[in-house]
Amino acid sequence: MLSFQSSKNVLSLTEDLLVRIYELLAAESDRKSFRLVCREFRRIDSLTRRHLRVIRIEFLPILLRKYPRLQSLDLSACPRIDDGVVSLLLTRVGPGSNSPSLGHWAWGLKSLVLSRATGLRFSGLEMLTRACPCLESVDVSYCCGFGDREAAALSSAVGLRELNMDKCLQLTDVGLAKIAVGCSKLEKLSLKWCMEITDLGIDLLCKKCVDLKYLDVSYLKVTNESLHSIASLLKLEVLGLMACPLIDDVGLQFIERGCPSLKVIDVSRCEGVSSSGLIYVVRGHRNLLELNAGYCLSELSTALLHQMKNLNHLEVIRIDGARISETSFQVISANCKSLVEIGLSKCVGVTNMGIMRLVSACINLRVLNLTCCHSITDTAISAIAYSCRSLVCLKVESCNMITEKGLCQLGSFCLLLEEIDLTDCCGVNDKGLEYLSRCSELSCLKLGLCTNISNKGLSYIGSNCLKIHELDLYRCTGIGDDGLEALSNGCKKLRKLNLSYCNAVSDRGLAYIGRLEELSDLEMRALHKITGVGLEAVAVGCKKLADLDMKHCEKVGDSGFWALAYYSKNLRQINLSYCGISDMALCMVMGNLSRLQEAKLVHLSNSTVEGVELALRACCARIKKVKLFAPLRFMLSSEILEILHARGCIIRWD
Amino acid sequence: MQDGSVNDLLQASKIQDWDPSAMLNNLSFLGQKIHQLQDLVYLIIGRKGQVLGRPDELLVQQQQLVTADLTSIIVQLISTAGSLLPSVKQTLSAATTSLGQCGEFGGVVFPSSAQGLNDGVQPQNAGGSKVSEPPNSVDITSNNGNEQSNHIIEEHELKDEEDAEEGENLLPGTYEILQLEKEEILAPHTHFCTICGKGFKRDANLRMHMRGHGDEYKTPGALAKPTKESSSEPTIIKRYSCPYAGCKRNKDHKKFQPLKTILCVKNHYKRTHCDKSYICSRCNTKKFSVIADLKTHEKHCGKDKWLCSCGTTFSRKDKLFGHITLFQGHTPAIPSDEIKAAPAGTSDGATNKVGSVNFNLSYVSSESEVQSSSMDIKGGIDDAVGYFSPLSFDTCNFGGFHEFPRPPFDDSESSFAFLLSRSCNYSQKSGEE
Repeated sequence: MLSFQSSKNVLSLTEDLLVRIYELLAAESDRKSFRLVCREFRRIDSLTRRHLRVIRIEFLPILLRKYPRLQSLDLSACPRIDDGVVSLLLTRVGPGSNSPSLGHWAWGLKSLVLSRATGLRFSGLEMLTRACPCLESVDVSYCCGFGDREAAALSSAVGLRELNMDKCLQLTDVGLAKIAVGCSKLEKLSLKWCMEITDLGIDLLCKKCVDLKYLDVSYLKVTNESLHSIASLLKLEVLGLMACPLIDDVGLQFIERGCPSLKVIDVSRCEGVSSSGLIYVVRGHRNLLELNAGYCLSELSTALLHQMKNLNHLEVIRIDGARISETSFQVISANCKSLVEIGLSKCVGVTNMGIMRLVSACINLRVLNLTCCHSITDTAISAIAYSCRSLVCLKVESCNMITEKGLCQLGSFCLLLEEIDLTDCCGVNDKGLEYLSRCSELSCLKLGLCTNISNKGLSYIGSNCLKIHELDLYRCTGIGDDGLEALSNGCKKLRKLNLSYCNAVSDRGLAYIGRLEELSDLEMRALHKITGVGLEAVAVGCKKLADLDMKHCEKVGDSGFWALAYYSKNLRQINLSYCGISDMALCMVMGNLSRLQEAKLVHLSNSTVEGVELALRACCARIKKVKLFAPLRFMLSSEILEILHARGCIIRWD
Repeated sequence: MQDGSVNDLLQASKIQDWDPSAMLNNLSFLGQKIHQLQDLVYLIIGRKGQVLGRPDELLVQQQQLVTADLTSIIVQLISTAGSLLPSVKQTLSAATTSLGQCGEFGGVVFPSSAQGLNDGVQPQNAGGSKVSEPPNSVDITSNNGNEQSNHIIEEHELKDEEDAEEGENLLPGTYEILQLEKEEILAPHTHFCTICGKGFKRDANLRMHMRGHGDEYKTPGALAKPTKESSSEPTIIKRYSCPYAGCKRNKDHKKFQPLKTILCVKNHYKRTHCDKSYICSRCNTKKFSVIADLKTHEKHCGKDKWLCSCGTTFSRKDKLFGHITLFQGHTPAIPSDEIKAAPAGTSDGATNKVGSVNFNLSYVSSESEVQSSSMDIKGGIDDAVGYFSPLSFDTCNFGGFHEFPRPPFDDSESSFAFLLSRSCNYSQKSGEE
């Protein structure tokens, strides 16, 4: 009776109030609970929802009918989408039907994510762009087969402002020209790894799309000519030139004189760029916010440092791999007071004194990368902790001299710390973890190769760091089932876990893992103690499991794989190499897991050629990438290999 | 200026058929105009003083008017003087040819082989005499009957011929005009051994050949390039005439433009007055009379692949992109052979996938009472039936697999039946994120 009344009270709320309540729900899980309350709530959900990320393509038509007011649709998790599906989705239902027409969903759509939709081709894209008149943002990154025809299809979306074409490998200048001419309102364009693009295409782009604010041409074989064209873009704010091998200091000279609005530039890994090139950039752009020059400088020269004095607004600087002196740190800290992030990964000459000088003035630092700065000790960590109270991310991989003292300071002062990488820091022990666990905001903790930590240390984390979603325990041989128990009790939000080579973990430990409902990535290579029982517990418990690596788990038997085949319906990637899976179980796993895209099936001791063949036949419609034992190349029927090839599946022979 | 033209006048007056009255007319017109110009400049000088003293808007406007007037007069002046010039030039050339015998211009020597000496000079005089008429009428009153048909050829030649020396302004008479005969031009060999009569394409080859005829041809002097010796002497510039009557390159043409070298003569003659017997084997449309031209074309034939949406083709990508940069809305067209290739490549993969996925979808959507859409899909499956066969496990029998308990993926339908048991949940739980 009481429950009835309360529900009646809730129902008496007007629609707009419900919408407001709904909009306050930030977490997706909360929204799910909300829409499961009753029909009315569900209706609110469907009317208010603007963004949808679809995981299973089978439900796409229903979902699209349910949410007619979508503005943003993310299909990146459905690589099986192809032209046929698109035409089906856009087909209007006849007038006799009382259901709303299917095509409606496309009218208001502004953003479309089709990343990795390798099945899609230009005809499907053309249908989509024609059906979505309001389209402003499209992401077709990693659609490796995309080329000029697809670009031509996209170019019919005249209102397009943002376009991501990373790794559209077939795209040439012709396709780029199509887009440049068709989508002249373009503000953001990313062309990473579009290796066929040349200076001609970039030049045309810069002439036709003058509103560009963001341009990423990383990894392209463009030359200084392109920089000359880019320099004419008056509104450009962000320029990505990462690993462009043909760009050098002369090209950066153009940037000095052009791009008056430039805020962010990334020239990392550009072989031809030296400090004099950076001097040009810095001299021309006093208001630079971000300078990424990782692995392109051999040394932070005094001349460059002298120019950097003027960068008073600089927030981010990365000079990974450069030689840096203690006095340089003083110059930086004295002039770049608004620095938020500094990347010094693999820098030579980073000392305690240098870091202390840096943090003495740069108290706003939030992200600090000291990876492989081996001479860093607790003194530097203490100074960082004391000065930079708002530190969010600290990477000190392979800094062996860090001990519990440093972690103690971090745990005392840096209470906002969310991410810390302590991989290969053998000075980290249980006591250190106890101090660190005071950072209750911690969400990402990497402890790989920290052999001195044990279950006790992990239990501190498990009881205090409840927000952790990524934990790396690679080769933490001191970790056993008890540690995992503590973890599973506290860290319910854990999404990514690496347990590889933690030999002490047994089925009992995996049973605890099975309690982590949010877990999506699990790497557990070479756990020799676990059997099918443990795997079953994981499969049953971790409903969201998408990526499972269980290479060298030789003792796992078929019962575990059967369970996997039945329960882990969201599995996308699996590594079963060196596992004792039988033909039967292999077919089950490969045939039944309808979301599976990538499988590594090398050295399967208990399966036969026929078993692998059958398994491949069972999954050939959806598998995108498979790794097989090389001799199988001549043993498998040519028919199945042809089918796989025809469906765009990449086979790696090992 | 007037002095100069008077000189010309004096020289030219020796020619009989020249009409001095027309020339005089023109000159007096020039004189008039020059006086007008003088008056105007006086006017301007006077005005300038006033303007400086009292800058008035009206005065400024008047000054502008005067300037405009002045400009128009200058333009008239130039055009009249310019039109006078060719007639003077022509008469001059006519004069020199006739005066050649008097030894005043020693350079005019016609090759003995050229019979044009007889039939060349006489008509030229006739042609030259007509030029003295007002210049605009020259083109209309063309002398020969076959001239009109040649016009077309000439235009084509100008476009075609790279060695058209437009920049060269050799004064007529300062060079020696040679005219080869048609047979000579078309002969494969141009250098013949005086002893055995063997023909060669190159003089160097002939010299090499001559060594076989005796030791006197083996001396460095005999083997050296003959032109080098003569370079010390003041050489007479040689220019060539095309033997084809009525051709612009023929010395009898009133706008005669000489050819620079024998090679130019050969190429010109073959290109303009011979059949185009070499056909490009790739495109089967382009014809050439010079093999070298065919070879040059073949290098680029079929490479005109850079196509704009407006239909213009370009042999080079940068040219196409320059075109696209210039013209609003033009885009590069994607080559049509790719259109054929792309669906062929995907037809195995994509359409089959369509089949399989559609099937999946059809199942779900039919469950959700979207009957008509499931009908659509069924049609799609029919096409892809052939491709489904590898999926249906009944068709492939592997030894030892019969005794297995039939797994849920046994065939596609039951596989999805397995899915059915939880599909309803998934649509709510994990179908979205």
